[in-house]
Amino acid sequence: MSPISANIRSLTLTLALAFLVTSIGATYWTVLASDRLANDPFNPRLIAATNDRPRGAIVDRSGAPIATSAKTDAGYSRSYKDRTLSQVVGYASTKFGLSGVEAAYAESLIGQDPADPASIWRARYLGDRGPAGQVILGIDLKIQKAAADALGGRKGAIVAIDPRTGAILASVSVPSYDANQIVDRSKQESAWAQVTADPGRPLLNRVTQGLYPPGSIFKVVTAAAALETGFDPTKKLRVDDPYQADKSWGDYFVRSASHAHGLFDMADGFRLSENIYFAQVGLEIGAARLTDYARRFGVGSTPKLDLAATKGQLSDSGTIDRPTLLADTSYGQGELLVSPLQMVVRDIAPGPIGQVISPNTAKTLTAMLVGAVAGPGAFAFGAKIPGVDVAGKTGTAENRPGQAPHGWFVGFAPAAAPTVVVAVIVENTPEGGVAAAPLGAQVMRAALGK
Amino acid sequence: MRVEATVRLGRGRFTELSLLAWVAALALTGFVAVLATETSSFSPAAVVVPLVFLVLMVALHVFLVSIRFRGDQLLLPIAAGLTAIGLVLVQRLASDLLFQQLSWSIIAAGAFAATIVVPRDLTALARFKWTWALLGVLLLVAPLLPIIGREINGARIWIKVGPGSIEPWEAVKILLVIFFAAYLEEYREVLSHSQRRIGPFPVPPLPYLVPIVAMWGIAMLVMVFEKDMGATVLFFGIFLAMLFLATGEAFYAIIGLALLVLGGIVAYQLFGHVQARVDTWIRPFDEDLRFGTGYQLVQGLFALANGGLFGAGLGNGMPDRIPVVWSDFVFDAFAEEAGLAGAVALLALYLVFLYRGMLIALRAPTMFLQLLAAGLSFIVALQTLVIVGGNLRLIPLTGITLPFVAYGGSSLVTNWMLVGLLMRVSQVSSRMRGARP
Repeated sequence: MSPISANIRSLTLTLALAFLVTSIGATYWTVLASDRLANDPFNPRLIAATNDRPRGAIVDRSGAPIATSAKTDAGYSRSYKDRTLSQVVGYASTKFGLSGVEAAYAESLIGQDPADPASIWRARYLGDRGPAGQVILGIDLKIQKAAADALGGRKGAIVAIDPRTGAILASVSVPSYDANQIVDRSKQESAWAQVTADPGRPLLNRVTQGLYPPGSIFKVVTAAAALETGFDPTKKLRVDDPYQADKSWGDYFVRSASHAHGLFDMADGFRLSENIYFAQVGLEIGAARLTDYARRFGVGSTPKLDLAATKGQLSDSGTIDRPTLLADTSYGQGELLVSPLQMVVRDIAPGPIGQVISPNTAKTLTAMLVGAVAGPGAFAFGAKIPGVDVAGKTGTAENRPGQAPHGWFVGFAPAAAPTVVVAVIVENTPEGGVAAAPLGAQVMRAALGK
Repeated sequence: MRVEATVRLGRGRFTELSLLAWVAALALTGFVAVLATETSSFSPAAVVVPLVFLVLMVALHVFLVSIRFRGDQLLLPIAAGLTAIGLVLVQRLASDLLFQQLSWSIIAAGAFAATIVVPRDLTALARFKWTWALLGVLLLVAPLLPIIGREINGARIWIKVGPGSIEPWEAVKILLVIFFAAYLEEYREVLSHSQRRIGPFPVPPLPYLVPIVAMWGIAMLVMVFEKDMGATVLFFGIFLAMLFLATGEAFYAIIGLALLVLGGIVAYQLFGHVQARVDTWIRPFDEDLRFGTGYQLVQGLFALANGGLFGAGLGNGMPDRIPVVWSDFVFDAFAEEAGLAGAVALLALYLVFLYRGMLIALRAPTMFLQLLAAGLSFIVALQTLVIVGGNLRLIPLTGITLPFVAYGGSSLVTNWMLVGLLMRVSQVSSRMRGARP
């Protein structure tokens, strides 16, 4: 027996164990992680399955085509009809994967039922797939066009929802991109390089993924919290610009946009969008109550949706931990960030979705929001529609110093029994919310057929 | 450990011949399957390439019988089977490279035959150890030289020879094992029976370690300049394994591994290409990586996922989505089309190769031959583990070839020479034991 025989045996055993671990690794990827990876939206095999057979169509609520497949010499190719829906519908590219609805319903669109696990195995081993499914969106192309026209070329986003069903009627995010180029083999490399390098980030769906400070539209949340805490909306509060609660704030003040001095009740506060009024309301009801209602209205949680969406934040730390932050948060500044979708779904419109407050509170708030549009000197006058009561609120959200503020409008109509809820954001507009309100009106008119 | 039946020494080499019949079946069905999915019309390449290869393998067998070679009968069929899988995969993944790879396998077969005949006395290899060390260093430095050196895909490990280019480090790995085996045989006693200890740790007599550490250090330095992590890991592995084989001190190996991890951390901080590899390994699916440096690995994992238990079938998968699949990702490509079953079978072939190689080492008559055979078998096993582990995302990916299977001439030729050397060692053992069952 040679003195090194034992060493040879130990080394062989070590290597054999490493082979065992490697086989376990192979088992993991080929079998255990297989289903998850096989259905990953970036897996080119999912898309390749539609090269020799048509991919299912994506249509609007009335069946008008939005994305279709047509036969070409090199197999079936995808074409997208509406550039304003690029971020919603997405793309199905062999090179860059899937996004949007193309990703969310990837399996149905290639005729694989996600609810039927056996179909995945049939597809894999027998190449046997059912007929490709069609995806019907809640989008109404007529309202979509009105929203796209309203925003024009301006950076920003518009989303309209039917509060009775939760269906998204229109969703526009500007700037957009041409998904046809992303799926075109001859142009896709340069097109991809262009859209990913664009500082305007056209791939981003600003409706669900854009994060903005809400500004004055958040006063709706503060008011709802106050009303349900027993705060009397008719009580007059003294507003003197600039405002601070006590000397401990040092040189920190809440400012009034109109340099107001006088007595305000809640309706005045909404009509004139008075920051100092709502700061005082927030301080009176306290951080815990405001935090509770902000959460109820969905700030800081991802909306339930088929598309990628961000959750926003109440503050950098997730809590309101100091009086000045409480005051600022109460009128929608501070460290708040929300997406346009969050501001619309969480509205106060009565209906199966959105309503997170009592019907009584909703009624009181709605009356004040109608006043914010139609009352004397109301900021949101641009949202008026003849013959229809519109409830709404503008917001002018300050962002980084030196940049023009973002203009917001959220609203719904008809005020008594809404059939459409809308949120509009126009980025960096000097007029702020005043610029956004008429855009909201245009979209609601299209939805109401007025 | 009873595999006597297969090493029973008669006049013929029937075990080898009957195993080659399996290789023939594998090669023919593989080529026909791949070509059947690619073209509807019959292509002569489907028969010509595997036939040329099989004639070559049978010729090697006849050659061994004719010189009454009495060594191992399993290694040749295993190497032939792996090379056949390699050819099928080249046809599947990069058919324009097929004839090049076939030519390389002819050269490899020639190199194998030469190794069987040329060194008349294997022990003589040990006498020229410093010659091998010098030759190894020269080969390693060659790619850094201005006129003949070449940089491909960011790694400067090629030298230009005629119309093509070769990777000299592939040969260096064998030279390194010969040198280590010879040196360690000579100084094993002093290295393994060190009197001085600090606590439980042996303190090696440093002067005796200088030549091997220097040899290893030169290899590492050059590899840093040539930017090839795979070869660096392989050299380091050979160094540690040989040291452990000779001394039996697991402590050396543990310290060595610790140094490797430490070196990895330092390299991560210093070198962009190392950092990219590690980041890709940790989070390949992240948005910023999956279309960038992680693209290749992610596509490889998709290929594995498509494989499932029994695979998509040869020619039915989409492994061509993986960039440079024929050199770095053949394992994933094979696993996609042959499934977990095929992947494990492939690993089993390497395991049997390792087992045979180590058995030869155990039976070798001198310590030099023992170290030589164990070191050579170790190379094949480690190379397989490192590249397959990289493909499976068990360890960071390094550009090392899957022995015999991956596309690449230098690798194929040196690995066949390695098989030749192993069989030579097994022949010496069987002579020593009287050549009778």
